[in-house]
Amino acid sequence: MSQPTTKPSGPAIEIRDARVRLGDTDVLRGVTMMVPRGRMVALIGPNGSGKTTLLRCLLGLQSLDSGEVRILGEPVGPKVLSRVGYVPQRLQLEPSFTISVREFLSLRRRDTRGWFWQSHRRIDSMLHGTLGELGVESLLDRPLAGLSGGQLQRVLIAYSLLAEPELLLLDEPTAGVDTPGEQSFYELISSIHARLGLTVVLVSHDLAMVFRQATWVYALNGVICCEGHPEEVLNADSLKAAYGIHVTPYHHHHHGPQTGPVEQPIAFKRR
Amino acid sequence: MLEFLAEPFMQRALLVALALGPICGFLGVFVTARRMAFFSDTISHAALTGVAAGFLAGFEEPTIPVLLYCSLVAVAMLWLRERTQLLNDTIMAVLLSSSVAGGVVLLSLQRNRWAELDKFLLGDILSVNWTDVGVAWGVAFFVAGVLLWKLTPLVLLTTHEDLAHVGGIRVRAMNYGFVILLTVAVSLSIRALGILLVTSLIVLPPAIARSLSHNLRQHIMLSFIVGVVGAGGGVLSSYPLNLPTGPTITLTLSLLFVLSLVVRRLRRDATDAKPSA
Repeated sequence: MSQPTTKPSGPAIEIRDARVRLGDTDVLRGVTMMVPRGRMVALIGPNGSGKTTLLRCLLGLQSLDSGEVRILGEPVGPKVLSRVGYVPQRLQLEPSFTISVREFLSLRRRDTRGWFWQSHRRIDSMLHGTLGELGVESLLDRPLAGLSGGQLQRVLIAYSLLAEPELLLLDEPTAGVDTPGEQSFYELISSIHARLGLTVVLVSHDLAMVFRQATWVYALNGVICCEGHPEEVLNADSLKAAYGIHVTPYHHHHHGPQTGPVEQPIAFKRR
Repeated sequence: MLEFLAEPFMQRALLVALALGPICGFLGVFVTARRMAFFSDTISHAALTGVAAGFLAGFEEPTIPVLLYCSLVAVAMLWLRERTQLLNDTIMAVLLSSSVAGGVVLLSLQRNRWAELDKFLLGDILSVNWTDVGVAWGVAFFVAGVLLWKLTPLVLLTTHEDLAHVGGIRVRAMNYGFVILLTVAVSLSIRALGILLVTSLIVLPPAIARSLSHNLRQHIMLSFIVGVVGAGGGVLSSYPLNLPTGPTITLTLSLLFVLSLVVRRLRRDATDAKPSA
């Protein structure tokens, strides 16, 4: 995959006073944040803090009640979204849907959109450059619905990278992935970020991962409670502001209830 | 052996079956993958109100009222799904039962048409005329053409709607477009298989093809071919066996379905046996 020769200036993401009300709940209550290009940032917060809603706003899937969202210097729309890669939490595929990994990946590139009429060899030659480094070549003939959580996440990353995005958004990408798979997945994201200079936004509840991989952290709970380098944000006071409960870093590995004013340590550990 | 094909009514029936079987098979791949089998069942049952309203409005052949009413029900299903918190199954059950009840009530107002109820419930492909043949082939080319033209967006939409949106696909328009195509195919196929059995033409070919395919391309092509074999074979076998044609098409497909399960099982056993060999 080639890197853009001239790097555009300006932030990758600008959000000004974004407000979203869903039903009776003010999910986003004036979120303002600016993500410079090239950073690998994490968006953390408890369940119901608005992480996914904010991500949906960035993708144009959720409209704002007020405020403004711009990505890569433009208002969110089909044109700018063509420069964005998105890795959803999971795909809920019906087992009767027989799409193979090769066919799924073909959907992303303009030159393989005629996949139905193209030979496997021709498709593979077009996909080859991106696939080798991600370790998905051996999965091309497998049905997408039959992949393990870790394999599926790699395929989704490959799918996103095939369009050579400038911004990569990942929504809880390791939900349903086992611990070793989780670790290698984040290492993969980290190496992609370092090599291609993409802006990466990870929505995550996995604080240990955030500490290890992200260069900047936003703690969200309806508003941005705090932001900074992981070591600045991931301390008990900041996390209490975001999670509304006492959070003790480096405890046993157990994701307990994360909402409500309960004095209960939620767990994360440094690995 | 096939002398009965000299009969024009058999020629017309076969031509209609060969037009509708494959496009229903093609559409069915996406219907089943998107868990919309009950959706197509609702549309077909809605046709009863379309038939009765068409008779009441003075139509001799109620194809157009059926198409219009089924489209209305299909759009209402999508609209209610978007605008309410109701579960899909609830919405479909409400529309299905209301349409059947409405159709029966409207038919009861015109007793002279009551005898025609069987024709629409169980299909009457042997009574199609040359205009019906032309319409069936025109619609088959149109539906197949649109499906092939929009194949990549439709596959992406079926995989994940949010990914489709990020990929520049107008998700809502595509959803409505797909449902309208399905409605057109179902409405026309009612003539062949009837309200009660038309869903079998949508669901069985992809289910049969699923057992024999390794990827989506194979699945689509096999489902298309099974649609041809099942619909054509049903028409051809119904005459010498002296059986009603619509149900024979469904039974032919059901037989193929059982065979496909056997083949799948045999192939799996053969694969399992390989490492120890």
